[in-house]
Amino acid sequence: MTLEAVDVHHGYGDETVFDGVSLSVSPGEVVAIIGPSGVGKSTLLRLFALFGSPDHGSITYEGTDVWTVSENHRLDIRRRIGMVFQDASLFDASVKRNAEYGLRVRKPWSERVRHELASLVGRTNGTGPAVEALETVGLEDKLEQDATSLSGGEAQRVAFARALAYEPDVLLLDEPTSDLDPRNTAVLEEAILEARDRGIGVAVATHDMHQAERVADRVAVLLGDEILEVGETGTVFEAPRDERTRNFINGELVY
Amino acid sequence: MLPAFVAEFPFEWNYIRSIIHVSLYVSLVAVALSTLVSLPVALLVGFKEFRGKGLVTSVINTGMGFPSVVVGLVVLFTVSNQGPLGSFDLVFTPEAMIMSQFVLATPVITGVGLAAVSSVEQNVRDAAFAMGGTRVDVAVVTIKEARYGIATAVLAGFGRAISEVGSVLIVGGNIASADGTSVTRTLTTAIQLEARQGRFETAMILGAILVVLVLLVNAIVVRLGRPGGGYR
Repeated sequence: MTLEAVDVHHGYGDETVFDGVSLSVSPGEVVAIIGPSGVGKSTLLRLFALFGSPDHGSITYEGTDVWTVSENHRLDIRRRIGMVFQDASLFDASVKRNAEYGLRVRKPWSERVRHELASLVGRTNGTGPAVEALETVGLEDKLEQDATSLSGGEAQRVAFARALAYEPDVLLLDEPTSDLDPRNTAVLEEAILEARDRGIGVAVATHDMHQAERVADRVAVLLGDEILEVGETGTVFEAPRDERTRNFINGELVY
Repeated sequence: MLPAFVAEFPFEWNYIRSIIHVSLYVSLVAVALSTLVSLPVALLVGFKEFRGKGLVTSVINTGMGFPSVVVGLVVLFTVSNQGPLGSFDLVFTPEAMIMSQFVLATPVITGVGLAAVSSVEQNVRDAAFAMGGTRVDVAVVTIKEARYGIATAVLAGFGRAISEVGSVLIVGGNIASADGTSVTRTLTTAIQLEARQGRFETAMILGAILVVLVLLVNAIVVRLGRPGGGYR
């Protein structure tokens, strides 16, 4: 259940974003991808989420190159992965319907149509994995609220629950707390650690060093078009091997 | 003694009801068919890159302002004896009227619908994909997110169809049967006939009914398409 980027080279037009990047996310660990803005943290997560294939190199899941298998097989793999974006990107529907989305698309169409009709005529029941996921982020009392009317912090917590509800093996978080206040950040970090303890592999892109220290078991430092180093969080922060890493962590890097 | 214009004219409920029925039948069926065609086209043009996309967009925009009498003329030719659909015997039938309404409403629904689906943010579509959605799921999310704009598009199409005179007159012929009920007479063509014959009162009543119908359909569609509405 390990998701891995193997020697990935990727770019847009003439611009090189990655020149040989490798990184793995294993069950039950949190990997923080740190690096300055615009370095390609989101691009790496989008490659992990199978939005597109890398120019060279491979993305593997349990050792299988995901871009060599059939489209149906790839969809199965994709459905083992959850993602939370920097802005919550919620649907214009209730909190509960947002959290249920991943579960809904995994059901056969006949059942989905029945569910749609049930939600049009009245309220559906308030239990199930989606509600449990919302409990994890403390929003079980807002099930019927319009997701578009939530505060930024609450919206991001719903986005987290939406990705957690279908029990993915890997959770990709793209700067999940960059716009949030300390309280909401704390709730989400707590939820990240809880997901890890349940055996989910988490990759979190962040430019917040303190967050990386708080939640990550391993840290990958993305600078330029490569990963300078990957290692145990304590080791990377206290004794970085690369001088550029040290400068970046100390906030002295002029990039 | 009844006034002359009432005696001359079969102004009765059956007549009015049959006209409303024909008007609604023709417009609603045409708009339903148009919507089925327009939504996939709008999604395709909105989110797929292909050669000739600019041309397709201009055709849609031109179609929105296409003169209805020309559409009527072309449809009439198509269903006439010499035309490609001549063998179906469709001249002066509600079905021929549906065809011309369909041609008129489709570009309107596609054009307004295109603007609506294009306004759905990419990050919401990405979220649907990242949660395990297929291409179809992403399209469904897009339609749901754009439902208010799509409702507006359908309304615009319905508005164009039900207030149409020129093309339905040409292909339908404004026919009422011997028993005084409408065959291809719609509210608009009936108003035109009544006004021309000087029966302004009847024309006014029919006009009022037309306006109320449009308002009613508006109210229903707006209610269904309200943001957040219906999705608890």
